[in-house]
Amino acid sequence: MTDQVSYEVTLEDLAALMKRTAGVSVDPDQFARQADAGFDTFGLDSLGLLGIVAELEKRYGLSMPPDAERCKSPAEFLALINSALTTGV
Amino acid sequence: MSGREPRRAVVTGIGAVTPHGIGTEVFWKTTVGGGSSLAALDRGGCEGYPLRVAGQVRGFDPAALVEETFLVQTDRFTHFAMAAARLALEDALLADADFDSPYSVGVVTAAGSGGGEFGQRELQNLWGQGSKYVGPYQSIAWFYAASTGQISIRHGFKGPCGVVASDEAGGLDALAQAARTVRHGTDTVVVGAAEAPLAPYSIVCQLGYPELSRATRPDHAYRPFTSEACGFAPAEGGAVLVLEEERAARARGAEVRATVAGHGATFTGASRWAESRDGLAHAIDIALGEAGCRPEDVDVVYADALGVPEADRAEAGALADALGPHARRVPVTAPKTGTGRAYCAAPVLDVTAAVLGLQHGLIPPTPHVTDPCHDLDLVTGPARAVEARTALVLSRGLMGCNAALVLRKGGARGPHR
Repeated sequence: MTDQVSYEVTLEDLAALMKRTAGVSVDPDQFARQADAGFDTFGLDSLGLLGIVAELEKRYGLSMPPDAERCKSPAEFLALINSALTTGV
Repeated sequence: MSGREPRRAVVTGIGAVTPHGIGTEVFWKTTVGGGSSLAALDRGGCEGYPLRVAGQVRGFDPAALVEETFLVQTDRFTHFAMAAARLALEDALLADADFDSPYSVGVVTAAGSGGGEFGQRELQNLWGQGSKYVGPYQSIAWFYAASTGQISIRHGFKGPCGVVASDEAGGLDALAQAARTVRHGTDTVVVGAAEAPLAPYSIVCQLGYPELSRATRPDHAYRPFTSEACGFAPAEGGAVLVLEEERAARARGAEVRATVAGHGATFTGASRWAESRDGLAHAIDIALGEAGCRPEDVDVVYADALGVPEADRAEAGALADALGPHARRVPVTAPKTGTGRAYCAAPVLDVTAAVLGLQHGLIPPTPHVTDPCHDLDLVTGPARAVEARTALVLSRGLMGCNAALVLRKGGARGPHR
């Protein structure tokens, strides 16, 4: 049976998580333009990313790959997360 | 640079967040007016415990003074510390300062118990829902070193940083550590203490202290040096000072308010109040020696004033031992009876009052105390006008640390005007 649920986590979702779990507000346009920039550019530290990974794990009931919390940029993070969510690994 | 003149640590800025209100001015005005902010403890979740009277900081909007990224990762005690640090830097006219080097500014704080409110929330998540529900900032927020770290990160200060964990007296020990850091070559140190012990978990921890006042009337809860003394009322809040090397401060035109001239610290054991007499007397001796002061040079004493008869007796005895006949003549005050005792922050609030008192030529009174039963000239009623040069601030911790700090008005070359 094919799982029809769309798991795609968007930049907007990530921005909302950054705001809620780490108190980091990002300008949506800048965030979209600089999705390849380091998380530190936006003021998110490693503990903040760890908190976002935990939030996603709770939301989807899945364990994220260990590399998720080591991602350097929003683009890299979303690619890894969405790949894990679609394959269910 | 004159090689022979020693480096001295002087106070150039003060920020306070206290039960009297937000900012140093409201703290001083209320303190010098003998006002009290002790009241029925009414914070949500804190009712129903046998602690009824405390000094709560009301009307504190942390978001007005601290960015949200710091607020979500920190406990209320760090919110107080960061807000007070910012107010102190503004007061020193250093808020937007372009320091020569980030390494020229250090941070030292003291904290007694860390982030109880944050820790309680996360531990409730752990036991209520599971480990995935504990946020990662728990790892840093409840740690008593959090305030030093966050102040340093927020302002980009990379000079010598430290945390003093030595009980309530740690507030004075932090000032001493900051003054040493200045003398050893760092031009500016942001130093102070803040506490937030008015949350359910923290309150339950304090209920084990026999010294905690369980009185129900705010005007009866904390009356040291009287025959009605029944312990101390706790408080939250804190104060942060900017210490600078005197020549560097004068070179940038800063107002030199007071010099941290001497400090002494001893240890006599948890709740062994009779023995604290000897320990406190030695701390005073050491502090006066370092400051180059004779006992009769002391113009005012800010007492520890625990409010436990045995401890009050020991403090009066320590003053008699260390100051001799001068102990009966020197004005003694304990303005903390109007705020409650904010643990490590309590002596820093006393230092704040002492510096402002030296500047204004006033000794603030001891609220709620009218009939002292010790052989001390306790300042009660209205503030007393005294052109003081030298203040002695005392502190003892429930776990046995004793400390004394000597402050002198202005700098080595006299008050700056």
